[in-house]
Amino acid sequence: MAKKKDLDLAPSRKEKAGVGQYILTFFLLLYTLFAFLPVVLTFVAAFTDEKYITQHGFTFFPEKWSLNGVNAVLRYGKRLLTSYGVTIFVTVFGTLVGLLVMSMFAYSISRKDFRLSRFLSVYLLIPMLFNGGQLSGYIVFTTYYHLKDSLWLLILPLMVTTMNVIILRTYIANSIPAELMEAAKIDGAGEYRTFFQITLPLMKPSLAAVGFMMATAYWNDWQNALLYITTDSKKPLQLLLINIQKSIEFLLNNSNVPASARAAMGGTIPQYSATMTTVIIVIGPIMVAYPFFQKYFVKGLTVGSVKG
Amino acid sequence: MKGFFENTWKHRAHVLMALPAFLILFFIMYVPMAGLVMAFKKYDFQLGIFGSPWNGLENFKILMASKATFIQMTENTLMYYVIFTAVGTVLNVVLAIAIDQCVFKRCAKTMQTLMIIPVFISYAAVQFIVYAFISTDTGILNKSLGMTTRFYSTAAVWPLLLTIVKIWKDTGYGSVLYMSVLAGIDSELYEAAEIDGANKWQQIWHITLPSLVPMITVMLLLSVGSVMKSDTGLFYQVTRNSGILYSKTQVIDSYILNAIFKNSNFGFTAATSLFQSVVGLLLMLFANGMVKKIEPENALF
Repeated sequence: MAKKKDLDLAPSRKEKAGVGQYILTFFLLLYTLFAFLPVVLTFVAAFTDEKYITQHGFTFFPEKWSLNGVNAVLRYGKRLLTSYGVTIFVTVFGTLVGLLVMSMFAYSISRKDFRLSRFLSVYLLIPMLFNGGQLSGYIVFTTYYHLKDSLWLLILPLMVTTMNVIILRTYIANSIPAELMEAAKIDGAGEYRTFFQITLPLMKPSLAAVGFMMATAYWNDWQNALLYITTDSKKPLQLLLINIQKSIEFLLNNSNVPASARAAMGGTIPQYSATMTTVIIVIGPIMVAYPFFQKYFVKGLTVGSVKG
Repeated sequence: MKGFFENTWKHRAHVLMALPAFLILFFIMYVPMAGLVMAFKKYDFQLGIFGSPWNGLENFKILMASKATFIQMTENTLMYYVIFTAVGTVLNVVLAIAIDQCVFKRCAKTMQTLMIIPVFISYAAVQFIVYAFISTDTGILNKSLGMTTRFYSTAAVWPLLLTIVKIWKDTGYGSVLYMSVLAGIDSELYEAAEIDGANKWQQIWHITLPSLVPMITVMLLLSVGSVMKSDTGLFYQVTRNSGILYSKTQVIDSYILNAIFKNSNFGFTAATSLFQSVVGLLLMLFANGMVKKIEPENALF
């Protein structure tokens, strides 16, 4: 007779905080520091004076702070903005369209008297068991589809994944009463209306969970970008980050950075602090967004791994 | 048969709704499967996969003869799978129990939120964070210990380094799943145990751990299905793809990625790729079969 509890945290058992509790909390704190301090370091390094890093190495307690790294990054603002635009477009478009097509697929295969749904379920499952691998995919996408340097190759490969469809299907099967959809049909709502006006709104928690995981996957995808994207104006943030060394040099030498401004940076390119600033810019949005989605993805994760 | 067509026509709306995802899966996942035939071909850029001439098992003969690369990357793939799975599972469980046992709930929750963050940082960014710790001239490790170790050219340290990075990135997130199981344990069980005079460790040993066993079993078995796949970013980005480290860091996935960039050895690589996919399939079927026997509810299919 297990009580239904918040999945995020175990129930608070009535307990006194003894010495053991303080020791436990201390170790948890140590692990938290291990996990989080490297993130703090990127922030510190972004604002550390370049020469200080060169001489004393990276440190959590620099004696000399500086905004040169940040300024250097802001100076190549245009390219940064373009990359931000590409990443945001790919993430938003891919996630929204992906959620829609996966929900429709999940809805269809969960219709009970739909005979084709057995075939479709197997069809969905096979890619999880067997796949063509990176090389075959690369050749097919570039030489047969001619999609080299196309944003479609950032969007489509991550759009439909078996696991996500299974999560959505499980949610429809377990959490949305079939009677509700029957009732809508009796009231004269067509198939599409039933799906869009009854089912889809009720799927919100699972959509939030899957959507957040998808958005993270899109945002963090560097591999497809590295494989396929060659034009500067189509490069997403992750690729900008991978090419950062080249980018910083290029931008400082070619963009309209006045000589005086370069002199103000000490005549050298603040590559360490500028790189760390870019890292912050790339990882920042997810770190800000994630606490809001935490409770959803905990549930999504549970459903996905245990299949309800 | 007539019934089938009637049924399909009746459900034409559902067919139509399934179509977009069906097509994406077809073009993105299924067509490349057919492309695997290139493992049996002498690949020619001009002729493409399907136009290139067959050369039987030639590619596989080369594969088996090349101990240096093929055997090594397979060994590395397996080695890292074993290390990551063993260490990862233990730490996930320990962390989940620790957070679950902590009575300062607010504090535990905040710490958990911070612990999960690394999983959301892409490997393209992680490599710079790692660099800040281990670079030769500016790395925190070298500077604070007064060493000048060249980590990026010392292969022997990388199994340890990569394990630490992997643990750092995934443990906070990995423990969430086990915590959701712990949250489902009836607290009356603990109360009863306490009345019977069981101390904390006994409670963990006799109540908490046993309740996690099914989930641990399922997760371990399912992970067997992806032995041949690696976290490519970890091996490609974090190592800065340094060639000197390959003996300890090259895994199948990063090898294939490199081969694509070098535009070379496609026959060999295709054979490797097919090997990876087929072994992956067999392991997946095995894993699912085992789960089906032990915890039928958790089987994938």
